Amino acid sequence: MPSPTITTLLEGHRSQPHQLIEALQDVQKHYGYISEDSMRSISDELGVSLMEVYSVASFYKAFSLQPRGKNIIAVCTGTACHVRGAKMVLNQAISQIGAEPGEISKDGLFTIEHVNCLGACALGPVVTENESVHHHMDPGKLRKLIKSLKKGDKEGASHV
Amino acid sequence: MSKSKLKTIKDLAPLRNSLIKEREKLRATIVICGGTGCQASRSLAVIDEVKKQLAKHKLKKSVNVRTTGCHGFCEQGPVMVIEPDEIFYCHVSPDDAAEIVTKTIRDGEIIERLLYTDPVSGKTIKTESEIPFYLAQDRYLLAQNRQVNPCSIEDYIAIGGYSALAKTLFELPPESVVKEIVNSELRGRGGGGFPTGRKWAECREAPGDEKYVICNADEGDPGAYMDRCVLEGNPHLVLEGMMIGAWAVGARKGYVYVRNEYPLAVKHIQLAVEQARKLGILGENIFGSPFSFDVDIARGGGAFVCGESTALMASLEGKVGEPRPKDVHTVVDGLWHKPTTLNNVETWANVPSIIKNGASWFASKGAKGSKGTKILALTGHIKNTGLVEVEMGKSINDVVFGIGGGATNGKAIKAVQTGGPSGGCLPVEKFDLPVDFDALADAGSMVGSGGMVVMDESTCMVDVAKYFLTFLQDESCGKCVPCRLGIDRMLEIVTEISEGRGTSDHIELLEDLGDTMSTTSLCGLGKTAANPVLSTLRYFRDEYETHINEKKCPAGVCQALITYIIDEEKCTCCGLCKRACPHNAIAGKKKQVHSIDVDLCQKCGICMSECKFDAIQIQ
Amino acid sequence: MTQEVTVNIDGAFIRAPKGSTVLDAALGAGICIPHLCRVPYLEDIGACRLCIVEHIENGRSKITTSCTLLVQEGMRILSNTDRIRKLRRNIAELLVTEAPNSRAIQDIALRCGVVETRYPFRNSDCVLCGRCVRACTGHFGEKAIGFVGRGKDRRVESPFNLYSELCNECGRCIDLCPMTIVPCDGNMKPGEGRLCGNCESKMLTEEAAQGYCIGCYMGDGFQCERSITNTL
Repeated sequence: MPSPTITTLLEGHRSQPHQLIEALQDVQKHYGYISEDSMRSISDELGVSLMEVYSVASFYKAFSLQPRGKNIIAVCTGTACHVRGAKMVLNQAISQIGAEPGEISKDGLFTIEHVNCLGACALGPVVTENESVHHHMDPGKLRKLIKSLKKGDKEGASHV
Repeated sequence: MSKSKLKTIKDLAPLRNSLIKEREKLRATIVICGGTGCQASRSLAVIDEVKKQLAKHKLKKSVNVRTTGCHGFCEQGPVMVIEPDEIFYCHVSPDDAAEIVTKTIRDGEIIERLLYTDPVSGKTIKTESEIPFYLAQDRYLLAQNRQVNPCSIEDYIAIGGYSALAKTLFELPPESVVKEIVNSELRGRGGGGFPTGRKWAECREAPGDEKYVICNADEGDPGAYMDRCVLEGNPHLVLEGMMIGAWAVGARKGYVYVRNEYPLAVKHIQLAVEQARKLGILGENIFGSPFSFDVDIARGGGAFVCGESTALMASLEGKVGEPRPKDVHTVVDGLWHKPTTLNNVETWANVPSIIKNGASWFASKGAKGSKGTKILALTGHIKNTGLVEVEMGKSINDVVFGIGGGATNGKAIKAVQTGGPSGGCLPVEKFDLPVDFDALADAGSMVGSGGMVVMDESTCMVDVAKYFLTFLQDESCGKCVPCRLGIDRMLEIVTEISEGRGTSDHIELLEDLGDTMSTTSLCGLGKTAANPVLSTLRYFRDEYETHINEKKCPAGVCQALITYIIDEEKCTCCGLCKRACPHNAIAGKKKQVHSIDVDLCQKCGICMSECKFDAIQIQ
Repeated sequence: MTQEVTVNIDGAFIRAPKGSTVLDAALGAGICIPHLCRVPYLEDIGACRLCIVEHIENGRSKITTSCTLLVQEGMRILSNTDRIRKLRRNIAELLVTEAPNSRAIQDIALRCGVVETRYPFRNSDCVLCGRCVRACTGHFGEKAIGFVGRGKDRRVESPFNLYSELCNECGRCIDLCPMTIVPCDGNMKPGEGRLCGNCESKMLTEEAAQGYCIGCYMGDGFQCERSITNTL
């Protein structure tokens, strides 16, 4: 059964098949990923076959079909970042978090993503942590960043 | 300030005059870059602090703070320019705000330590226009970024915005607009370099009442971000260009397809559309003319292939972004099978100034066959990274060494990669080539969208080819065989070579396969997918041969062909590398020279980047 | 009444109804242009690229797929030049090394002149020709299966890879699949660098029988319009 929130979320897109990508964007933003149930709701609301929703959702990189961690660490692997050592930064993130890109870490805190270009090429290697951009990254800086995020979360948890 | 709708063309000039008068009253304007690059270096905090300080010193009314889009010199961010004297401060931090307001604004003093220091002469430079990085450029489009707050339509109108649209609607019939663009010899800035005027003419002539214009802002090329900067920094310029184009081809509806990875660009173009609607610049009967036009913003889903026109249109229709055969062009059979004109951001941004200044003005700039200016994203192993705008025809030397200032760390520059994954790598011997569409294409690369990634001797060209193939394997839609399986096989072969299993037949096979891919693939992505391999094979064949014959990577990049060792004499036994190693491959106690366990070492290179004494080396 | 146009394919003047494709016109006239993803009466998507031809226009030759090229009056097409044969061979080689166990694809490869292959075999069970997908979505409009993912992850699946309630078990997808049309009895092992001798002995390569129908295994509706009886 579609939850009331997803129905409201899809309000503006109802019966407009060409709005499929926009609808998926909204769902992705709201839930952090796109579940099977969400896809069924989108299919019903927009009048697009379930197969098409699934095809589109799996085609575009912006959509994640699995739940993601609380913190999203996106490492830019564009050309400019690559020649300045983005691969090392990515390796650092993978080994520190213990999850491959796209997967969720065991503690549920992190998901690493590699993005093909964030468009801040002059400042490479670039890493975004949730919405904020970190420039001229190296493995050491990233290690500190992830450590502080872990710590921040523990503090946050102790306040509850 | 009148915020009511502009009902007729006569309302535009008085509004502009009143806006200009208002600005003349100001004592100074502090321009701070709020582009993505400078935001990453905390420019928003600087803006907040400056505003606070102005209020504290009661200067809020006489001094304007303008948050703008990218100025191009991202390396120096956050960047600040103080008008009218054009004083240029770089690497400004929030702590500097108080001093800037009291000294520079109130007392007219210059703060020496915030000025830019020319790395060549070692002298400080006071104003923006004297900085060699800017001096060597021909900035027409980018120069406007400093003059406008992208979130303010008034700023845009004050510098003459929408006057080209007014001229178009009341003085130029559509045929004349098309003729003007044809005469300007403007070519598409997105990659293909197709003559824009011809595209418009064909779309205008195509049968049908319903037509569309699309702005392609799905800038997927890694290493290029000029479209982001134009859309982020001057969205109304792009809108105005689209409206002129819509008038010319006879469209009533436009779409901006923008990458969702660029949140600021999405926000600014959405705001620009709302503002234009409010002022009656978008909507029914614009300026009281018979022309009606509106624009929708669509956020891309994250697919490089959607930069291809037919894939982008499929995506706009809410479908999977798969290209379709273009035996009938999109100017006849485009979005929803209607005639459609699709241009990229920079192309649209060039249109208003062509209308304003005339086709001959535009055609007087640039080189034969490639007119006007081009924004290039200069990145990689180079001193001055950022966005530069030059007249086409300038040599690569002038761009890389003249504007870019040459290599960092005293290393030698080896190559420049132009045109992103569809382009190629040009060696330093070819740097006297002019940056124009035809010259670079003849040399096996392309201008493309204008990305220029400079690589020094620490770059392995086989690794670069492998990088692009990995990128393309991920981004190919997978529909046609030569692209999907061709890239797959190429990557397989290049991986063999980079891991020391290459054979002498491999080079010939790569060339043969590359030819098949470029001739028979369905869309532009597949047709150009082999370029990174073919161009590196053309200019850096010896590197491939060394990998194959000697099983060595001359640049020390390919992991399978190198080993990391610790130089016992240089090692200070600090333990930094040991702590940094994610694979626990480094052993050694305090005051004992460390060593790397070859079996555990994954060759990630993290230890080398951490070591402060150059004790870790590649063998 | 349908209008007809005249096109010149490999020197032969062929009358074909307006709106039909060059491939259909050629096949109808007994010119066997190899193809894989095309299915009669379903939408042509130009995915396998085997049916490439040279389209001569204003003295210039443009290589494009004949299944997506519509016939036009006075058009000149070359389907069997050296250049085309070489490109087609390379495409067929990519296909057959991906799925060496499909008799249908082996036949196409041999027909295109692939005797030896330069890539290691992969033994995939799908080459993404999309015949099944189009049969399901186009012909019956059921959309029980479709393409999922992109690039190297592209595959044919039903939604969430679960049995789709839309499937009415018509079996058309299986009928059209090149992997199920007489599967190869001598399965390739990874690492084997040659097509299996079993097929080679039964097949005549294109060089040996130029211009003749070599009676390939796919038969009616797959490779050409001719039935198997019209062989050499």
